[in-house]
Amino acid sequence: MRPILEIENLSVRYTIGGGLLNGPANEVRAVEDVSFSIMPGETIGLVGESGCGKTSLGRAIVGLQRASSGVIRFAGETLDFGSNRQRVTSGLQMIFQNPYASLNPRMTVEQIVGEAIQIHRLAGNAADRREAVVRLLVSVGLDAQHAQRYPHEFSGGQRQRIGIARALAVKPRLLVCDEPVSALDVSVQAQIVNLLRDLQEAESLAYLFIAHDLGVVRHLSHRVLVMYLGRVVETGSSDQVCLTPRHPYTKALISAVPSLLPTHKTRVVLKGELPSPLNPPAGCPFHPRCPIAEARCRTELPLPREVGASHWVACHLAHRP
Amino acid sequence: MPLLEINDLTLEFGAVSESKRALDGVSLSIESGETMCLVGESGSGKSLTALSIAKLVPTPPARYVRGSILLEGRDVLTLPDRELHRLRGGLVSFVFQDPGASLNPVMPVGRQVMEVLELHRPKAATRAEVCRLLALVGIASPQERASSYPHQLSGGMQQRVMIAMALASNPKLLVADEPTTALDVTIQAQIMELLADLKQRLGMSILLITHNLGVAAALADRIVVMYAGQVVEMAPALALLSDPRHPYTRALMESAPELGVSTARLKAIPGSVPRLGAFPSGCRFHPRCSIAAPECASRDPSLEQWPDGRKVRCPFARKGDAV
Repeated sequence: MRPILEIENLSVRYTIGGGLLNGPANEVRAVEDVSFSIMPGETIGLVGESGCGKTSLGRAIVGLQRASSGVIRFAGETLDFGSNRQRVTSGLQMIFQNPYASLNPRMTVEQIVGEAIQIHRLAGNAADRREAVVRLLVSVGLDAQHAQRYPHEFSGGQRQRIGIARALAVKPRLLVCDEPVSALDVSVQAQIVNLLRDLQEAESLAYLFIAHDLGVVRHLSHRVLVMYLGRVVETGSSDQVCLTPRHPYTKALISAVPSLLPTHKTRVVLKGELPSPLNPPAGCPFHPRCPIAEARCRTELPLPREVGASHWVACHLAHRP
Repeated sequence: MPLLEINDLTLEFGAVSESKRALDGVSLSIESGETMCLVGESGSGKSLTALSIAKLVPTPPARYVRGSILLEGRDVLTLPDRELHRLRGGLVSFVFQDPGASLNPVMPVGRQVMEVLELHRPKAATRAEVCRLLALVGIASPQERASSYPHQLSGGMQQRVMIAMALASNPKLLVADEPTTALDVTIQAQIMELLADLKQRLGMSILLITHNLGVAAALADRIVVMYAGQVVEMAPALALLSDPRHPYTRALMESAPELGVSTARLKAIPGSVPRLGAFPSGCRFHPRCSIAAPECASRDPSLEQWPDGRKVRCPFARKGDAV
């Protein structure tokens, strides 16, 4: 089976400043040299702190942000920013974090969900379109009577369902979900997580699931990518990354998750904060906060090494226990 | 005498004819040195309860219908404005969710800490005391940091400054309203560690408001769970987390994905959190409850005290593990 999405050496950089009044131009390296692939029906979890580049990566994949270098291939076709963008990206949809900001308050649910059907000419006439909208609403747990309402009449969880229905309207094969549950009430989060799982089974959808909540990521993902300052520092199966993490950053990230069970595990509390991607540290980007950093971590960038079956870690010291 | 005693606090919004009750008979107390966590989702009334402690809910539009808030024996709700000003940021101080929005963007952070000192402890209003406070909350090189503006600090550092400001008056009660929600998990862990450390060193009481039971588990001595304006369960932290009794507390714990365990499906709570003014009749959780009986729709359950000291608002919660 061929991967639905292949990413090769992708970098995303932003230029800031450089205007008459903004001082010298600076380059923010949001994503640096990232490569991975997603198989049909697979979920890849992408985790990291804010500022690690996970959202930039997601936006580059759906074509909302131009990549600086590297290749994005979707269903075997290279995504460029010219003629094929609309056609290619119809198979690639995004669900956004904030269900309050991502729905147009002046459009009815039918217009919101039906817009993509119209643009991509997926329905013959208005009646067909209406029927398709109702089918989509039912598939995400809403019903036909919701079609004529406006977003403000819905709760956060229901709005996120509308966002999912809109994304599904063009029959995508890959959904990029950018923190889809972090703005929702705890009791509603699980509903959306379960919905995403059910849809995956029914339609063999692939997900790139971007989140900072490792619990949710672990629950949904087959494989997990951990990003730090624009680079992938660890990848592996969900179990490998969450139960036997090898990168010191992943270990710290996992131990920072507050647990309901009052265990007496030793928490690895990271010192300091994410450095600015404007001037990332030399060598391993994590070395200033790393509890086990050595001299060469300060000068030499560690390359990913396989430490178990499909378990890759970018750390000079990953072989240590 | 407990440091804080809230009795039967009832708060409404809107005109008397069509009033919407946001808090309904909330009672709780905090001993000195105790950390209490108020857990609930949006609309549960946890923040309104906390803000009421310093009478920070604007009246109107809000209206206190019943109840009292005794802070060291004096009722906050009947205090004159001058006393309230002294109380706010003095005896009780607050840390809010979004430090970026709470700090003054055009004033160096050291100056902002100094303002609190000038108001509440004028004799200690010195640069040395500002630096001591900044160091206390774990800010490295406080001398230089004092002259930084908020935008030059990260979210975690800003929250530390907020905590330093809150501590400047030597409060007896620190109210922290979702202090880590806007932060990354690694920074959240740092702030939680800081709060635990401060609690031990300064011996003050903390009222921590959070929607994250994991955060509550790490810090709380006692946990109060609120739903739709009412307290539904109140118990020592360990007892509540190891043996939750109210169906809502149970459902909340089961719906949170844990890192160590992977199950096929999460146990979601059906429906959504009721909105203000649209609270269901009878038990407010009954439309979403897995063990609701027909009478739950009409009969309003009371918060019952159990022999082991916990309080639970559900007549069916007692029937052991059949829940």
